[in-house]
Amino acid sequence: MANVVPANQKWWTGGKSPFNVEYGKLMMWYFLMSDAFTFGAFLISYGTVRFSSNSWPDPNYVFRSFPVIGEMDIPLAFVSLMTFILIMSSVTMVLAVAAGHANDKKGVIKWMLWTILGGLAFLGCQAWEWTHLYHQGAWWGRNPFDNIDGTAASTNFTNFFFTITGFHGFHVFSGVIINIIMLIMTIKGVFERRGHYLMIEKAGLYWHFVDLVWVFVFTCFYLL
Amino acid sequence: MENTHHTGGHAAAHAEEHSFDKKAIWRTFWILLIITIVELVLAILHFSTGFPPKLLLNGTFIILTLAKAFYIIAEFMHLRHEIRNMIMTIAVPALLFIWFIAAFLWDGDSYRNLRNRYDPYHKEQSMPKKAPEHEGAKPGELH
Amino acid sequence: MANDSFHGHPEVVTTHEVHHDEHHVHHHKETFITKYVFSQDHKMIAKQFLITGMIWAIMGGLMSVLFRLQLGYPDQTFPWLEDILGRWARGGKISVENYYALVTMHGTVLVFFVLTGGLSGTFANLLIPLQIGARDMASPFLNMLSYWFFFGGSIVMLASLFIQTGPFSGGWTFYPPLSALGDASPGSKAGADYWIIGMALFIISSLLGGLNYIATILNMRTKGMSMSRLPLTCWALLFTAILGVLSFPVLLSGVLLVVFDRHAGTSFYLADIFVGGKALPNEGGSAILFQHLFWFLGHPEVYIIILPAMGLVSEIMAINCRKPIFGYMAMVGSLFAIAILAFLVWAHHMFVTGLNPFLGSVFVLLTLLIAVPSAIKVFNWLTTMWRGNIRFTPAMLFAVGFVSLFISGGLTGIWLGNSTLDIHLHDTYFVIAHFHIVMGVSAFFGMFAGIYHWFPKMYGRYMNNSLAYIHFWVTLVGAYLIFWPMHYQGLAGMPRRYFDYSQWLSFSQFSDLNKFISTVAMIVFAVQLLFVFNFFYSIFKGRRVTSTNPWHATTLEWTTPVRPGHGNWPGEIPEVHRWAYDYGKDGRDFIPQTEPVGPNESKHH
Ligand code: HEM
Ligand SMILES: [Cu+2]
Repeated sequence: MANVVPANQKWWTGGKSPFNVEYGKLMMWYFLMSDAFTFGAFLISYGTVRFSSNSWPDPNYVFRSFPVIGEMDIPLAFVSLMTFILIMSSVTMVLAVAAGHANDKKGVIKWMLWTILGGLAFLGCQAWEWTHLYHQGAWWGRNPFDNIDGTAASTNFTNFFFTITGFHGFHVFSGVIINIIMLIMTIKGVFERRGHYLMIEKAGLYWHFVDLVWVFVFTCFYLL
Repeated sequence: MENTHHTGGHAAAHAEEHSFDKKAIWRTFWILLIITIVELVLAILHFSTGFPPKLLLNGTFIILTLAKAFYIIAEFMHLRHEIRNMIMTIAVPALLFIWFIAAFLWDGDSYRNLRNRYDPYHKEQSMPKKAPEHEGAKPGELH
Repeated sequence: MANDSFHGHPEVVTTHEVHHDEHHVHHHKETFITKYVFSQDHKMIAKQFLITGMIWAIMGGLMSVLFRLQLGYPDQTFPWLEDILGRWARGGKISVENYYALVTMHGTVLVFFVLTGGLSGTFANLLIPLQIGARDMASPFLNMLSYWFFFGGSIVMLASLFIQTGPFSGGWTFYPPLSALGDASPGSKAGADYWIIGMALFIISSLLGGLNYIATILNMRTKGMSMSRLPLTCWALLFTAILGVLSFPVLLSGVLLVVFDRHAGTSFYLADIFVGGKALPNEGGSAILFQHLFWFLGHPEVYIIILPAMGLVSEIMAINCRKPIFGYMAMVGSLFAIAILAFLVWAHHMFVTGLNPFLGSVFVLLTLLIAVPSAIKVFNWLTTMWRGNIRFTPAMLFAVGFVSLFISGGLTGIWLGNSTLDIHLHDTYFVIAHFHIVMGVSAFFGMFAGIYHWFPKMYGRYMNNSLAYIHFWVTLVGAYLIFWPMHYQGLAGMPRRYFDYSQWLSFSQFSDLNKFISTVAMIVFAVQLLFVFNFFYSIFKGRRVTSTNPWHATTLEWTTPVRPGHGNWPGEIPEVHRWAYDYGKDGRDFIPQTEPVGPNESKHH
């Protein structure tokens, strides 16, 4: 592993962290494991119901609109944009963490701002997508889209779509709030006085996790 | 004697000032972007030509997704640079997902078969009567 | 100054403001609120969990007495029931709906609020920091929140008992459609929503607690306390916390989908349903999906309940046999194996749902594998006692009782784990007997053992021994008398969750047996009240503890003062030089973990 530690270091003897990691970061990691099981349970439920259905609507057809341009015949263009935004904001987040490591307050502020902006942009896109689907008649308990084979679909396509993307959106939203708080604390010089930016790192873990979940949501809902 | 409370934060705050290589970050970004574009192209290709076949396509999507997840976790979340034992505490529980997914989907599939076999009405309702193309409606059309 | 090292390194403590403030507590005057209510001292939080759990246990136990009254005396009325229960028992007879409400709440309360919150909440908080040599939990603040979420969940669950339509009544497993359709039964209305909210708060509490326990055990061990020197209590609590952190979220997801089915017109779990002769429009869902999600938590949950008891028992056994625990590494290994397997076997609760039979056979295999680590543990407890110099303290008696119960209940698990047998036994009293013995009563025995044993640490006094012996014998004999006969009822096909068995010819043969069981249940319940009396009486009037190490134990909690303050050790945290089980070594009765290994000592750990 890349960690620079003496090879004969005894990590488990007590009196220190066996992972050379402060407890808060450890708790964040294990919280994310827990949250992964929350999302996992949702996505696996979706898969289970889909496996127990004879047919299912075609995402390429459902998700083919783009704002302003309207009904393009390029499927998934808009959601790809959303994916790009989220990946981009993950990059700016790592850059903020890296700046924190270098104790570069200005850098942290700059990159946190970009990250927050990315998060808001993503939320905006999601709001547009939801509204658009809503106007097509889709909502919890209402599904206007037929199955790919032409039979009438159950409502579970939209039920799962809104529940899971909604739960993800809720995570993005809380991530943006956390990032805003981190930004304010940075600007006020809290971390500078502490001498380290570990809090930014923990917020970063959360933010990347949100991105990670999106990768799976994207595959499960839009591609498969 | 050292107070154990401090050691965690203390060691971590100082020992971690190594990595965060900007080049690696951007490389990861490009990898993620390219994978996503490939996924998109495949999806569109399949949508308009029916190639590659659905099963192959889905397998490819899953592999690409896992690749993306790997890069996010390893590089962005920096897990690759942590101590091996810590990586194990994340990776081993993650393995539980294998049986979690397999058993659930297996039983979902079985449930579909059972219903088709024992509930003819359900089967009749959810199986296409004739090929949808002939009805002039696109699959997934609004009604 | 004693606290110098404590407040040293100001530049480092910065990531621990919470602690930092906390540590000054020694110097400041504590108010009632910070000391007893919003306390961040793990020992006080442990007491809060314990006492809340005890209140819940009394209520949950009382519920069972009430519905046992119905089962034992189905043809009689008890006018005083109407006096205490009001419209729940018009004319002195519990109504059908309220019978189900009582059964459901009994299960929910005892499984989650007593044996999960009350048990690991108490002992993880009390023992982890003390035994690993830490001033407190990694995050005392989140630890405090963990209790208050538990309290909030408790209040919501309690409130559901008092609403117009009654608490949820569809069973502790919360299966849809009873949980998903308000029209299905009175308890499915607001009571189900209260259940969901109460459980959601409970899950948050368990998450906050669990993350803290894990981080504390990993990061906060004192110098020399390597993992292989940890007392088995800490190992067991660590695995318990891991199980909780990974499985409770799945229940949360499953229940959130119920919320949508209830209030947003979705059909995640609903299809082909008639309520009151009317067909519902819901299509495409699967009620079995919920069972999968529930038991993905539910099975780990039973181990969340039993592992802490196993840890406590292992520790108490070694201390009171004056022998090292037999097979320490095997004990740790079997805990690990159980923790992994606990996640792989959930569908053994679903053999008769129409589960794919081939898939079922895989679950049979995985389920029966659990017998291996379970047997290893039993073997090690027995060999620890073998030729031990046993001191039959109340704690030790309960520990021995635990082993007995765990064997009895574990063996019937092997019956149930075979899907072919389970077709006959599922949903009968055989299952009731199985899980009450292996989980319900034995986890209580582990908890009692822990309370009797660590009471001196918690309150600086002893509990009364005579009352404790009565408590033990009546409970042990009573538990077997209650649950053993249920095996026969189950084998005869008597289903669980029925209101009145006298209507069936084949079950009315059990009417005397049912009376007998109900009578014993009341006696056992009364004896638990004796325990509660002993507990509170001893807090104020018990014999005082005079030495810091009354049981002559090796572990660190007995190196603190009799009544440790916040921070646990007035001076430095002791360093550890050996494992926790040096009993009867080199002619010495015991050697504390803090004692350096001597030059002429025999092989050590
Ligand atoms: C050798 C080990 C064990 C095996 C093979 C086993 C197997 C089973 C099976 C197959 C069932 C389902 C029976 C049915 O509903 O038809 C069951 C129920 C149950 N078991 Fe076990 N078990 C074992 C140990 C335990 C332990 C250690 C606990 C708790 C600490 C436990 C708690 C429960 C509970 C709570 C239920 C019933 C839940 C309900 O339906 O309400 N079991 N067990
Ligand atoms: Cu089970």
